[in-house]
Amino acid sequence: MTREQLEAAGYRLVGNVEQFPARIGKLVRLGESEIAVFKTTNGELFALENRSPGPRGGTIVDGIVSGGVLYDPICDWRIGLADGAVQAPDCGQVAVYPVRLVDGDVYIGRP
Amino acid sequence: MQQHSDRQRLIVVGNGMAGINTVEQILKLAPEAYRITVFGSEPYPNYNRIQLSYVLEKSKSIDEIILNSREWYAENDIELHTGTTVTHIDTAAKTVKTADGADTPYDKLILATGSRPFMLPVPGADKQGIVGFRDIADCETMLEAAGKYRKAAVIGGGLLGLEAAKGLLKLGMDVTVVHLLGELMERQLDPTASHLLQQELELQGLKFAMGQKTEEFLGGERVSGIRFGDGSTLEAEFVVMAVGIRPNVELARASGIETNRGIVVDDLLRTSAEGVYAVGECNEHRGVSYGLVAPLFEQGAVLAKHLCGVDTAPYAGSVVSTQLKISGVEVFSAGEFMDASDLTVVRMHDEWRRIYKKVLIRGGVIVGGVLVGDSSQSARLQQWIRTGAVMNDEYHAIVMGAAAVSAGSGVAELADEEIVCGCNGVTKKMIVEAIRERELTTVDEIKLTTGATRSCGGCKPVVEQILKLTLGDKYDSAAAKQAGICDCTPLSRDEVVTAIKEKGLITSKEVRYALDWHNKEGCSKCRPALNYYLGMIWPQEHADEKDSRFVNERMHGNIQKDGTFGVVPRMYGGVTTPEDLRLIADVAVKYNVKLVKVTGGQRLDLLGVKREDLPAIWSDLGMPSGYAYAKALRTVKTCVGSQFCRFGTKDSMGMGIVLEKKYERLDMPAKFKMAVNGCPRNCAESSTKDIGIVGNEGAWEIYVGGNGGIKARLAELLCKVKTDEELIEIISAFMQYYRETGKYLERTSDWIERVGLEKVKAVIVEDAAGRKALADRMEAALEQVREPWQEILDNPNLRERLFGEIRIPAGGPKE
Ligand SMILES: Cc1cc2nc3c(=O)[nH]c(=O)nc-3n(C[C@H](O)[C@H](O)[C@H](O)COP(=O)(O)OP(=O)(O)OC[C@H]3O[C@@H](n4cnc5c(N)ncnc54)[C@H](O)[C@@H]3O)c2cc1C
Ligand code: SF4
Repeated sequence: MTREQLEAAGYRLVGNVEQFPARIGKLVRLGESEIAVFKTTNGELFALENRSPGPRGGTIVDGIVSGGVLYDPICDWRIGLADGAVQAPDCGQVAVYPVRLVDGDVYIGRP
Repeated sequence: MQQHSDRQRLIVVGNGMAGINTVEQILKLAPEAYRITVFGSEPYPNYNRIQLSYVLEKSKSIDEIILNSREWYAENDIELHTGTTVTHIDTAAKTVKTADGADTPYDKLILATGSRPFMLPVPGADKQGIVGFRDIADCETMLEAAGKYRKAAVIGGGLLGLEAAKGLLKLGMDVTVVHLLGELMERQLDPTASHLLQQELELQGLKFAMGQKTEEFLGGERVSGIRFGDGSTLEAEFVVMAVGIRPNVELARASGIETNRGIVVDDLLRTSAEGVYAVGECNEHRGVSYGLVAPLFEQGAVLAKHLCGVDTAPYAGSVVSTQLKISGVEVFSAGEFMDASDLTVVRMHDEWRRIYKKVLIRGGVIVGGVLVGDSSQSARLQQWIRTGAVMNDEYHAIVMGAAAVSAGSGVAELADEEIVCGCNGVTKKMIVEAIRERELTTVDEIKLTTGATRSCGGCKPVVEQILKLTLGDKYDSAAAKQAGICDCTPLSRDEVVTAIKEKGLITSKEVRYALDWHNKEGCSKCRPALNYYLGMIWPQEHADEKDSRFVNERMHGNIQKDGTFGVVPRMYGGVTTPEDLRLIADVAVKYNVKLVKVTGGQRLDLLGVKREDLPAIWSDLGMPSGYAYAKALRTVKTCVGSQFCRFGTKDSMGMGIVLEKKYERLDMPAKFKMAVNGCPRNCAESSTKDIGIVGNEGAWEIYVGGNGGIKARLAELLCKVKTDEELIEIISAFMQYYRETGKYLERTSDWIERVGLEKVKAVIVEDAAGRKALADRMEAALEQVREPWQEILDNPNLRERLFGEIRIPAGGPKE
């Protein structure tokens, strides 16, 4: 998609890919929403709602990133970065935002 | 799916452990057979009542003990009515009436109404502040009382009473256990075991009024004390009654179903009414009402099969076993426990280690056992008793600890239907099938697929044996896999550390590739561990890997459950100045912190700091980070010592400050705490620290391996030294030896039990050259440490990488 098409579809430009360090979550505040953005070792970007799915609440941006999985910092649950699904034996779901890259610019869409 | 109307209607009265366990088993056997409705008086879905003791001592939340969520009921098409009490059963018309007046018809009915605490019928028993311990509501009452009152009495020195007492003690109450007899848990323990248990609990701070009969509760509206049979009294603002339980039979009795002490059932759990069954604590089978979960799961299995038309052996009663769930006290009992003339008793009583073990044998067959102080073989013992195993040399060696455990013993004879994990009702057969069908090779995998070992973990040794037995020759590789530091590698800590040194691996990525990790990216267990090992082995060469640090050590603040952080400025030796206090107060006001707390280690904790405010708050404080979150030296707690105290012989504050400044920031395998006292009165509590130092006239005593945490342990004397220089050299060598040989996350209390105090003494105290070499390596490591708050403030790139946020305003166009 072109930039225009992305913007028409509700995507917002949030920064350059260089601003996102590998395996260290970056907090993006898009209006009222808090979004945790993760870059994997392969350079893939994922955006998830910054809320732990565990019973104790909390945030996920400071979790440990391993491949396509995030270990949430409060309960050590495993969350799939691509689909936001909590992996067995626990269960839960984190909202996922679509991410698009155009010439190194990062766009985040609606969840 | 079949139409609802084709299915038989099954009603379960009682949404507790027995009722729902039976339903679970029915769903497994014949998911389409019944249209199920569950009524429960409590407002919660099914929860693990056993674990209320953990909720009381606050190590678990109520959410964590829910066994079946509301979604589970919905997914299985079960109609659940919580907060709804069944008031009458019309056994002729086959309907039940609920408190709201509604009638619901059934084809089959299961009564699983449990029991209720027996309240002593003595004068004043109806006063406020007297409760039983049965359900979440009781637990909440107790938690609330602990916040308001100080003096508590628990009447009853059985399993439940002791767990309640320990919970209240943990909540800060002053607790006395009142027991009618001279011995605790007299229905499970012999006098020797009871006395050992009592001593152990007294050490933990519980008080006891033994041999006391409660005659009256004193006070006005609210209880204020207890008067005993001998006329003496005990002050008590809150009383928990734990003297026994009574099966809940009122509903059955009022509906014309035969009851005795419990609802009378036959070997297929049938009551006197057609189509009505009773399972769990509410029933009476062959004259016995059980008060534990293992028997009720066994009943549930029989009943489920019967209801699903599957062939089953009738229920023939259970052998019960008891395990006390109190941290720091291991007590187990099963089957017979008292000496008798027709029994052969194998007994071991080690007064020094406070261990007592006893196995009772009748005609060669093991019929009972008691373990105090070391219940590691409880699961096996229980198995032998249940299966009526014949005592032999090998079993003797296993329980009495004389020989290594050999493979497979005991589990081969175990019947398929035998419940291995009592907490989750998992049978041997379920485990064996899971191993075969899903090709499982570790206990952890078994835990994930079957739930066995997930609750209390007591059955782990048996599960492991079943795994061995089932895998046969293939087990070896599986065993190696278990020894690994995490699921990503079969290698143990020592193998990894040796390989790092021998192969000269410097980054954790190199380690994971060179040592062939299954998961090349590592996990939340091995990543922080490797980062630690590499930093310890190559203090100069290894660059700290921030992405492998747990958030606390990455952000240098303590993450709280709401995502805010706690900030603890360094306050060396627990000493501060009026200026620093004022500064801390000003900063706390400026950043609107939610709470200021004095920590157990004599420091100030600013709680509720927003993530984005962290760099600014450090900058304003201008003090070093107190490391209250790190696997590193946290605090050196000190007493007043010779500077002010009239007893002090040594300058404990001065020494504490020197030590804290010297060793701060250095990474350790786990958190590390020290204390320094000016004299043996020990006001800084050095006996529960990793290193505790006690000043004496002309000498320092050094204690090591203490722990005041999850597994409390008293520190042991390492040695005495005369000078401050010797003191520091010994401490350096000790800490470095621990750094080099400890497993990541292993506290010194566990480490020293693994390595042995004698070995540590040989290395640190007796070998002067070795000590010097260790102390030198410590110095090299200390050269590399940096103050992280300052480092982050000084380095804009690092700051941006770790804390920088991106803000995009709502709605507006792109920036
Ligand atoms: C604090 C504590 C610790 C324990 N620790 C252990 C342990 O370590 N090991 C062990 O084996 N056991 C332990 N137990 C005992 C174990 O919890 C019980 O054996 C088990 O819960 C009994 O299950 P049940 O289904 O028979 O009864 P419950 O789990 O009590 O369920 C009965 C349910 O029926 C409901 N009910 C009753 N009458 C009606 C009605 N008329 N209409 C609707 N609903 C009704 C009740 O409200 C209750 O929720 C412990 C118990 C407690 C309280
Ligand atoms: S330990 Fe001794 S020196 Fe220190 S405060 Fe207590 S009494 Fe005084």
